[in-house]
Amino acid sequence: MIHDSILRDRLVTGDKTSSDVTRDILRPILNNPSKSWKIGFTISVIFLGIFAISLFNTLWNGIGVWNINKSVMWGWDITNFVFWIGIGHAGTLISAVLLLFRQKWRMSINRSAEAMTIFAVVCAAMFPVFHMGRVWVGYWALPLPNAFGSLWVNFNSPLLWDVFAISTYFSVSLLFWYIGLIPDIATIRDKVTSKLGKAMYGFFSMGWTGSTRTWARYELISLILAGLSTPLVLSVHTIVSTDFATSLVPGWHTTIFPPYFVAGAIFSGFGMVASLLVVARKVMNYENYITIGHLDAMCKIIMVTGSIVGIAYLTEFFIAWYSGNEYEQYAFANRAFGPYWWAYWSMMSCNLIAPQVFWFRWARTTPWFIFIMSIVVNVGMWFERFVIIVTSLHRDYLPSSWVMYSGSLTEVGLFLGTFGIFFTFFFLFAKFLPVINMSEIKSIMRNRE
Amino acid sequence: MAIVDKKLTLRNRNKILVGVWEDEDNLLAAATALTAAGIHIHDIYTPYPVHGLDRIINARRSKLARIAFFCALIGLTLMTTMIWYMSVYDWPMNVGNKPLRFTPSWSPVMFEGTVLCTAFGMSFFFFWRNRLVHGIKNEILDIRQTDNRLVVAVETTSNMDEKAILTMMRKNGALELKSFHKGVQTILK
Repeated sequence: MIHDSILRDRLVTGDKTSSDVTRDILRPILNNPSKSWKIGFTISVIFLGIFAISLFNTLWNGIGVWNINKSVMWGWDITNFVFWIGIGHAGTLISAVLLLFRQKWRMSINRSAEAMTIFAVVCAAMFPVFHMGRVWVGYWALPLPNAFGSLWVNFNSPLLWDVFAISTYFSVSLLFWYIGLIPDIATIRDKVTSKLGKAMYGFFSMGWTGSTRTWARYELISLILAGLSTPLVLSVHTIVSTDFATSLVPGWHTTIFPPYFVAGAIFSGFGMVASLLVVARKVMNYENYITIGHLDAMCKIIMVTGSIVGIAYLTEFFIAWYSGNEYEQYAFANRAFGPYWWAYWSMMSCNLIAPQVFWFRWARTTPWFIFIMSIVVNVGMWFERFVIIVTSLHRDYLPSSWVMYSGSLTEVGLFLGTFGIFFTFFFLFAKFLPVINMSEIKSIMRNRE
Repeated sequence: MAIVDKKLTLRNRNKILVGVWEDEDNLLAAATALTAAGIHIHDIYTPYPVHGLDRIINARRSKLARIAFFCALIGLTLMTTMIWYMSVYDWPMNVGNKPLRFTPSWSPVMFEGTVLCTAFGMSFFFFWRNRLVHGIKNEILDIRQTDNRLVVAVETTSNMDEKAILTMMRKNGALELKSFHKGVQTILK
C-alpha cells in the first residue's frame, strides 16, 4: 500500500499537477526570450569576446604574454584550471551520489548542476591546453604511436592521468546528462509547434515513447551510471591533486591532498550551483520547484564540506610543524605570514569561517544571503588554488630564485573570459532545454513514502 | 535473443485498444484488474516512471547489469594491454629505474578506461535494445503521453471480446477510450 507522507515537507509546493509542471518548466522554451535572458546573454557574450581577445593575444605572441616564469611556472592558468574542475564536481555529485543515497530533493537541481559540470569542464580544459604553448601539437598527450611525433606517453605521470580522467569525466557526464534529458526532450517534441523545433527535438528524443519497458531499463541504466560516476567523480579530483602531491615541492608533497581536494571541489561546486539556482528560481519563476528546502539542504552541504576543507587547512599546518621538515615548515609559515598573507587569509575567511554562518537557519533560508555566500565560497576557493600554487612555487629551495608573481592582463582576461564561455552555454541551455528534470519531478509530486 | 525489443514497435500489429488515465493510482488498479481478468496488456506509456507497472505487464528483468560488467571487463583488458604494449613491449620506458611490469601507477588510466568503456558500451546496448535511434519516427498513441496522461495499450486477437475490455477500462477510471488499426485512430468515448 502506498501512503502520502504527512510528516515530510513537500518537495514541490503549490499543489502542482503534471500539466502544470510541463507548462511551468517549458515556459522559457516555448516562448520568446525574456528581457532578463537577453540582458544576461549579452553580458555573457561580451565576456566571451574578452576570452577571444585574450586567447588571440596568447596564440599570436605565445605564452610569454603571461607572467609565468621561473620559478612560478603554474600561475593563474593552473589556478583557474583547478578552480573550474572543482566547480564541475557538484553536478555529478548531485546526480550520482545523491541518487545512490535516494535523496529525492536532488531532482529539482540535478539537471542544471549536470549542465554546469559539462560547461565548467569545457572552461577548465582551456587552461592546460593553452598552457602547452604549442597547442597544435596538443594531440601528443594522447597515446599515439611514436611515428606521430612524440614517444608513447608516460603512464606513470599524473599529468597523463589527468588527460584520461578529465576526458572520461567529460564524456561520461555528457552521456549521463543526455540520457537524463531524453524523456524531457520527447515532451518538448510533443509540445513545440514550429517545424524546425519539431525536427530538432524529434531528432534528439530518439523516438522516446515512455513505454514501461523502456522506463524500467532507463531507471536501471541511470542507477548503474550513477554507480560508475561516483568513483569517477572522486577519482578525477584525486588525480588532479596528484599533479601536486607526487611532486617534491614543499606544501604540495602531502598525502592529505586527495580527500582535501575532493571536499574542496564539492564545496565550490555547490557554491556555484547555489549562485545559479538562487537567480534561476527567481527569474524563471521556479520557486515552487526549487524551494527554500532545497536551498537549505545545499547550504548544509556547503557548511559540512567547508568545514572538512577547513580541517584540512589546519591539519596540513599541524603536520608541517610536526614533520620537523624545515622546508615544509617554512612553506606554511610563508603562506600565512609571507608576502601572500592576504591570499591565505582571504582563503581562510571565505572557506573556513564564512560558511559557519549556515549553522543558523535564517542564513540557510534567505535567498539573497545564500547568493552572497555562494560568491564568497567561490572567491575563497579560487584563492585556495592560488595559495597552493603560487605560495609554494615563488619561494623554492633556492633563495636566489625567489620571485613575486602576479597575473598579467591577458591571464586575467582569459579567466574572466571563461565566465563568458560558461554563462553563454548556460543561457543557451536555459533557453532550449528544461532546467528542471520534468519527468523526475512528476514522479515525486505526491510525496510518497 | 534479438537485441532490439520488438515489443516496443507498434508497426504490423493487430487492432490496439487504448485507455487513457490521469491518475497513477487508478491506472495501477486498472492494470492489475485487466491482468487479473486474463487480458494481456501490450504496454503502458507514462510521462514519468510509475513503479510496479513493469511487473504488472510482466516485463522481463533487464540484463543491463550483466552487460555493464562484460563491458567493464573488456575496458580493463584493453587498457591493461595497451599500457603494457606501449610502456613495456614496444618502447620500454625507464622511469626512475622502476621495474618494467605492472605498477600501481598504471591503475588510474586502467580505471578511467574501464569506466569509459562500461558507460558507453552499456549505453549503446540500452539504446539498441530500446529502439532509441536518432531521427527514428516516434510511435505515440496519444500526444499527451509525454506530458500528463497515462496510456494503456491492449493488442487484440481474434478470440478477444473487445467490448468487455473497453467496459473494464471504463469501469476502472479510463478518461478516454480509443482504438488504433493500420494507422487509423478511432475515438470510442
